[in-house]
Amino acid sequence: MLGHVPSKRERDFLRRISLVMGNRNQLQWGLPALDSFELNRSIYQIPRPDFVALRDELIALLEIGDLVRKPVRQLSLGERMKVEIVGSLLHRPQVLFLDEPTIGLDVTMQKRIREFVALYRQRHEATVMLTSHYMADVEALCERVIVIHHGKILFDGDLAALADTVAAWKTIAVVLENGAGDLSTYGDVIHRDGDLVTFRVPKAETARVTARLLAEQDVLDLNVEDPPIEDVIELVFAREAVE
Amino acid sequence: MTTLRVALLHLRIGVMNDLQYRVNFALQVLQSALALATGLIVIALVYSHVAELNGWSQSELLAVLGTQILMGGVIRMLIQPNMMRLTEDVREGKLDHALTKPVDAQMLVSVREVQVWQAVDILVGATVIAIALVRLGGDLGVFDALAFAVALAFGAVMLYCFWLLLATGSFWIVSMWFLPELFEGVFQTGRWPVGIYPQWLRFGITFLVPIAFAVTVPAEAVTSRLEWQTLALAAGFAVVLFAFTRWFWRFGLRNYTGASA
Amino acid sequence: MSTTPITAPLAQVNRLRSLVDFYLTTMRTAVQQQFQYRAATYMYLVGMVAEPVIYLVVWSTIADQSGGTVGGLTAGEFAAYYIVWTLVRTMNIVFTPYGWEWRIREGELSGQLLRPLHPIHYDLAWFAGGKVPWVLFYLPIAVVLTLVFNPTFDVRPLEVAVFGVAVWGAYLIRTFNQTALGLICFWTTRVGALFQLYIVLELLLSGRLVPLTLFPEWVQTIAWFLPFRWTFYFPIQTLVGDLTNAELLGGLAMQVFWTVVGIGVFSLVWRYAIRRYTAVGN
Repeated sequence: MLGHVPSKRERDFLRRISLVMGNRNQLQWGLPALDSFELNRSIYQIPRPDFVALRDELIALLEIGDLVRKPVRQLSLGERMKVEIVGSLLHRPQVLFLDEPTIGLDVTMQKRIREFVALYRQRHEATVMLTSHYMADVEALCERVIVIHHGKILFDGDLAALADTVAAWKTIAVVLENGAGDLSTYGDVIHRDGDLVTFRVPKAETARVTARLLAEQDVLDLNVEDPPIEDVIELVFAREAVE
Repeated sequence: MTTLRVALLHLRIGVMNDLQYRVNFALQVLQSALALATGLIVIALVYSHVAELNGWSQSELLAVLGTQILMGGVIRMLIQPNMMRLTEDVREGKLDHALTKPVDAQMLVSVREVQVWQAVDILVGATVIAIALVRLGGDLGVFDALAFAVALAFGAVMLYCFWLLLATGSFWIVSMWFLPELFEGVFQTGRWPVGIYPQWLRFGITFLVPIAFAVTVPAEAVTSRLEWQTLALAAGFAVVLFAFTRWFWRFGLRNYTGASA
Repeated sequence: MSTTPITAPLAQVNRLRSLVDFYLTTMRTAVQQQFQYRAATYMYLVGMVAEPVIYLVVWSTIADQSGGTVGGLTAGEFAAYYIVWTLVRTMNIVFTPYGWEWRIREGELSGQLLRPLHPIHYDLAWFAGGKVPWVLFYLPIAVVLTLVFNPTFDVRPLEVAVFGVAVWGAYLIRTFNQTALGLICFWTTRVGALFQLYIVLELLLSGRLVPLTLFPEWVQTIAWFLPFRWTFYFPIQTLVGDLTNAELLGGLAMQVFWTVVGIGVFSLVWRYAIRRYTAVGN
């Protein structure tokens, strides 16, 4: 990795990577984050002008100006995550390891963190190695996905390709004038709630089935969706369990 | 009454829980053995230089050591786990679980935790006392034995009150994690007869931290040196302390507001 | 964001200068943090003082009962011994194996191992920095102890100078010994038992319990071959005992020797520990 052998733990290698763990902090608990940043500066030997410039930039970007002056233990979980991430980026790592970074955070904060990491990745051409239970993290940050189950690699490739391989269908949700009757000619009916009917159709058939529905039924509302990534992943694991 | 039954039930569950961890038993035995060895070595060293310390012979001092170890076991088995859990619950705002149960809160927070393996120290302490008695001539009069048991009970009650008073203090001063270590340090004073300490310290470890009542007094009882006035004082102090502790606990509860994260 | 191209080589840093910078920064941070937690520190110090005060009272009582001295020491000299003991103790507090247990359990270790600096530097620097506030907090306690127990003191300037170095020697020896012990956590979670054994040996053979001269001859002989006496007895004796210049400097040399041994043992255990950690995972 990066031209080094990781297990040798050479100093130059370690200076190029960074680890952020969700729900665990590496910053000093009782002191303001700014003091911990200073500590990081000395650990990674970041030249002071670069350090100050990047630090102030990241603080402004995540809007944590007053947070960095309060002791870390007084911050909420989301605020703590923000300062942790800033602390981990100060030495401009090329590889960023994120271990469950959004765990326990509320939805807005999760989005904010994802956006920020994606931005950093883009601007600095850094590599992000992400482990997460949240598929939204995966969707937002990962082009290449590796699914590992019990130490075996089940899949390694594009996120889009993953869906095509494992779950090559789409769902069509329609609200009909009259939802009763046999609709199985259109596709698998996976959900029915009065006049709201949801079909699963093979990807290739989607356009044709949609056209037929619109022509032959009284459609009040129609929605075509890719299978949710959670279902796709679930299928990957399920397939493994069977094979 | 129901409170007693609930208490016993909690105790039983706590014991069964702990019994699962047999490795802890081996570790506890090792720990107790080391502490005992250290205590014995120190006593041997002391008595290699003198024949009696403050009027106590070596065998009599063994009885003091045994009582201190026994009491230590009682504290670490029943009192300390509950009181530390209480301070934790207050700090993390989890006390409401205990407060909303239909039993007396003080009773509940005092019995729900038990560190079974600390009972090893109770056995060790009792054995050391027995050995001391053997070396002293072998017989223990009925009155002495009774006085010993009673003194132990009073001592335990007083130590419980002391710990509960401190734990109740956590309603106001939230951080109390240093208590076990701090107490452990001060409790070591119990290994020696209270008479050797300077006045001010003697007062402190009698009435502020009731170590003299918990260790020296029962040791005096078992070595037939106890005067009935001392036992009466112990009884009186125990009652007063318990009443005060109860009042302070309820006072603290009234002021309690959940301190959430 | 600023646009330093990512493929540029990392700024080459002078190894020694960066280490010094790290130590100073870490020590400063430790000082700040200790001042934040001063109430807890005070509680700890008070508890810590209980131990030597008990020993002091016991041996003073024996001395008084035995016509003034025991083992050649008067009550006043015992007081001096144990009061200096408290200062030495403050200085030789280090990161314990329980700390390593906690570190591994809380997952902090992974983060530590991914830093470009060996965790030992952090521990050494952190605890060293912490000494400054600790000694400051401790001074009033020392004054009180002196007023209460009337120690008899007789020091020369050289003794004070050697003392100043010796306490750091004690610090280093204990750090490396206890870190080596702590690394055993990589193999078992029951390192507490081993550490307890270590503490008991230290208690008896280091002068922590009593001045070593009060022990029978054969115990004193054993103590000579172990590192413990250089973590308590020697530093205390530089101030309290009447050591000749040769003994003072020879003692420092012994501390250097045991520090080197400690570093050696620690480095060896570390190599195997790291191998085990990466093999087994956390």
